[in-house]
Amino acid sequence: MIDFALKKRYLTTEYEKPNWIIESGLSLAELTAKVAEFEKENDLPKALIKAKTFELLIENARIAIDKEDIFQDKFLAGNIMAEQKRAWRKAVEKAYLSEETEETKRAWEQFGAYSAHGDYSHISPNSRLLMEVGFTGLLQRVEKAEKRGGLTQKQKEFYQSCKIVLNAMITATNRLAEGVKEYNYENYVALSNIAKGAPSNLYEAMQLLTLYFYLHENVAGARVRTLGRLDFMLYPYYKKDLESGRYTKEEIKEMLKFFLYKFWSAKVLYDLPFCLAGKDENGGEVTNELSYLIVETYNELHIYSPKIHIRVSEKTPMDFVKLVLACIRQGNSSFVFVNDEIGTETLRRVGVEERDARNFIPIGCYEPAVWGVEIGCTGNGGVTLPKAVELVFTKGKDYATGLPCGVETGEIRSFEDFVDAVKTQIAYMAEKMTHYVTEIEKHYDKIYPDAILSCQYDASVERGVDVYEGGAKYNNSSCYFWGIATLVDALCAVKKLVFDENYLTFDELWEALQADWVGYENYRTLALHLDEKYGNGNATADELAVQFSKFCATLVNNKPNGRGGVYKAALFSVDNNVYAGARLMATPDGRKAGMPISKNLCATPAMDKNGITALIHSVTKMDHANFPTGSVLDIVLHPSAVLGESGLHAFYGILITYFKKGGFAMHGNVFNVDDLRSAQKDPEKYANLQVRVCGWNAYFVNLSKVEQDDFIKQAEHCKLF
Amino acid sequence: MKARIFEIKRFAVHDGDGIRTTVFFKGCPLRCVWCHNPEGLEMKPQLGFYQHKCVHCGACVTACPQNAHTLQGGKHTFDRSKCVGCGKCENACLNGALRLYGKEMTVDELLPLLLADREFYETTGGGVTLSGGECLLYAEFCAELLKRLKEEKIHTAVDTCGFVSKSAIDQVAPYTDVFLYDVKAFDEDAHIRCTGQSNKRILENLQYIDGLGKAIEIRIPYVPQYNQQEIQSIAEFLSKCKHVKKVQVLSYHNYAGSKYDALEMENTLPKQLPSEEEVRTAQACFDVL
Ligand code: SF4
Ligand code: SF4
Repeated sequence: MIDFALKKRYLTTEYEKPNWIIESGLSLAELTAKVAEFEKENDLPKALIKAKTFELLIENARIAIDKEDIFQDKFLAGNIMAEQKRAWRKAVEKAYLSEETEETKRAWEQFGAYSAHGDYSHISPNSRLLMEVGFTGLLQRVEKAEKRGGLTQKQKEFYQSCKIVLNAMITATNRLAEGVKEYNYENYVALSNIAKGAPSNLYEAMQLLTLYFYLHENVAGARVRTLGRLDFMLYPYYKKDLESGRYTKEEIKEMLKFFLYKFWSAKVLYDLPFCLAGKDENGGEVTNELSYLIVETYNELHIYSPKIHIRVSEKTPMDFVKLVLACIRQGNSSFVFVNDEIGTETLRRVGVEERDARNFIPIGCYEPAVWGVEIGCTGNGGVTLPKAVELVFTKGKDYATGLPCGVETGEIRSFEDFVDAVKTQIAYMAEKMTHYVTEIEKHYDKIYPDAILSCQYDASVERGVDVYEGGAKYNNSSCYFWGIATLVDALCAVKKLVFDENYLTFDELWEALQADWVGYENYRTLALHLDEKYGNGNATADELAVQFSKFCATLVNNKPNGRGGVYKAALFSVDNNVYAGARLMATPDGRKAGMPISKNLCATPAMDKNGITALIHSVTKMDHANFPTGSVLDIVLHPSAVLGESGLHAFYGILITYFKKGGFAMHGNVFNVDDLRSAQKDPEKYANLQVRVCGWNAYFVNLSKVEQDDFIKQAEHCKLF
Repeated sequence: MKARIFEIKRFAVHDGDGIRTTVFFKGCPLRCVWCHNPEGLEMKPQLGFYQHKCVHCGACVTACPQNAHTLQGGKHTFDRSKCVGCGKCENACLNGALRLYGKEMTVDELLPLLLADREFYETTGGGVTLSGGECLLYAEFCAELLKRLKEEKIHTAVDTCGFVSKSAIDQVAPYTDVFLYDVKAFDEDAHIRCTGQSNKRILENLQYIDGLGKAIEIRIPYVPQYNQQEIQSIAEFLSKCKHVKKVQVLSYHNYAGSKYDALEMENTLPKQLPSEEEVRTAQACFDVL
């Protein structure tokens, strides 16, 4: 086995400057021309064009052989298929949805009100099946299904496209095998075996995963948003190889380093995740020796991608959870914890069967979907909750442009009127959002058939229907709601300032908001310092959070989409809080125009005055199982709070209590505010300081000033002394 | 029955095992030169005025019945001699510039606040810690509070400087799971230099609690120029105690400066901080116990 440390410096650059073998195939320009010519000459259904394009690329593209690496995967295919996808989407928008697309674009890009788009970017491939049967096994399954006869033309084309892509996968494997033969015989053997069947040892399994990922993501232009449950999937090989003496634990660790580092070097957009621990579909705990080894190895590499989802059940060993927490404490924030029980329960509520629900996997940031069974489409867009407040004041117009954006709600005479009007605006935006998604989904066959994915999905193969045309067992879509804390704080401020205490009239408040609080500073101070704030254990605020979160969930959960599935609500923002906030006028909670709205489940920055325990109490009053596309609380802890064994135990206590009280996902950052300030001033010295922005990681120094300030505000509130 | 409380801290992780809520009682019989809770020294309520947060809005002027706040030429001044600590101005100030240390609270008022984080205590083996100042200056109150907490099956800790009467200890001991006991010096003169008081009673009380069979955690605030020479003899003394479960050397820090200013108290904080190495060496003397 090759020593990783010796090779590391080559691997860092391998993804940036692969050594393409010129004589191995066409240049990118030649390849692009060839694909264009093929598309022009063949009037075929999109599914077949796409499959044949993939085949054409695999057969004609140049390859690169990483002599220093132990896994091969490189084909020079540029963005050809990603561009193809884009062009097809544009064509559909133009032909069928040009007005709606314009309207939707404006609603987001100008008003920051709601965003809506087709999503074929959030997938959880059936990597488990791929491991079990390999490309050839998948091919046999397709051939068997095809034999049943009585197929429609469309079904025939579907099976044909599956066979084309699978054969191309095998061709790709063989091409790389030949290429690496003279440099690394062991790698050659592994690739040759994978070309013939299922992997038979850990090395082959990892090579297969690596290769599959590259071909689907980088050649076929898909966005693979999880590698799967890695410890669960790889453990049988691990065990067998150790027992047979094929590899020692040290050798396995060395292989793991190459494997993990590969995805780091690949710089996958938003970081590629995989999942560890939690229960399997039979209710047994997955955590095994390999789970520990993966975390330890990962931590030694000092990388932050791939990111790692940790499913935590009541059976997950405490020492495993603490091992991960210790990594976070050291400054590695690429881990997210996900509550097994809530992940399962939330899927049950949208009609997912028991065994499937238990087999959920977090996709992308943290969105639960059934691993290799559900097409979750967990990134369709969502609704800016505090925009509804603006729209009540403006009676349905975007304040900045004066253009229509909501409903003309009537006069506000009481707080109840206000609550009702806000709900009307939210419902309107959610309706607009889901309508657009549903409409565009009806055209997925013309935008994004995906044979590579479909041939891994049991239901799709059985039915002979592409996963993006409703072929999967579950064909769901998503709608997010962001800015819950800002919404609640704004509602509280209206209630208190206008209706309960009569500090000012509704019209005066409207004047103040239009003036961006200038000349109304005293009222702003009052608004900022109310006790009625989200996240502080305040009864009024908590009740509103419960009421509105439930309202949002009810609006979209189980609502039919355009592919035979349903919508699943989410209660988190990722970085949309900055984008949407920039397009939102001042809000009654004292927020100035253009400032970010609250992030994920966090309190409005600097407004969680009663500390983390109070925040957790408030947040968990909402029912997180109502959000089948997930919700997440980010917490920031001061290093002194998590110091030593007792500090680690306290950290564990925060996490476990959050889960016991029904929270779904949590990620922790450990740093102190002084470090962040220094990093802002002296970025070079703090180049390595990482923070978890949203669903993905970033180096603090690379964030925008607004985002940095947001973090600093959050961190200020976790000072211990 | 009421006690004067100057702070209730949730998610306290340095006052005993697990996640805890710590109640700080106002008033202390010692005057440690390094005290980092100067707001806890006096029994009487005190208003902290954080000048850097003041925007000179005048809201406190209207709120104060004693005319302790005035606004002259747009600038706010506070006359401490007039203040009786009623706290009316604290709520009026929206900028967090005023903070009243020492609010009268009953057991019934405290209890729900201390039970709020019960689930966090349960997952971590945490609970409630009574601290200060010196909580045992309110022994009867503490006994009642601790009793009620025990009825709720909450783990309890009493953090004391030990300069209290035996009867105070007798009152709380039945409801206390662990004593967090501060020891600052073994030599009497050294102790007087550090705290202004003899340590005779403190060491006696420690032996007394040990005799009661109660679990004890010793905490030693470490300020080298004051008690570096004491560490060895403290260690010897502690080696004779049977129920000392843990000894923790706490590194002195001087973050409390702004509080002295806000209270217009003389800042006695030593300038020199112990190095990490010094703290480790001191701690090592106890790890062999
Ligand atoms: S109310 Fe607060 S901010 Fe206003 S003058 Fe008084 S201390 Fe200063
Ligand atoms: S605490 Fe009471 S007496 Fe003292 S300044 Fe404030 S309002 Fe006046």
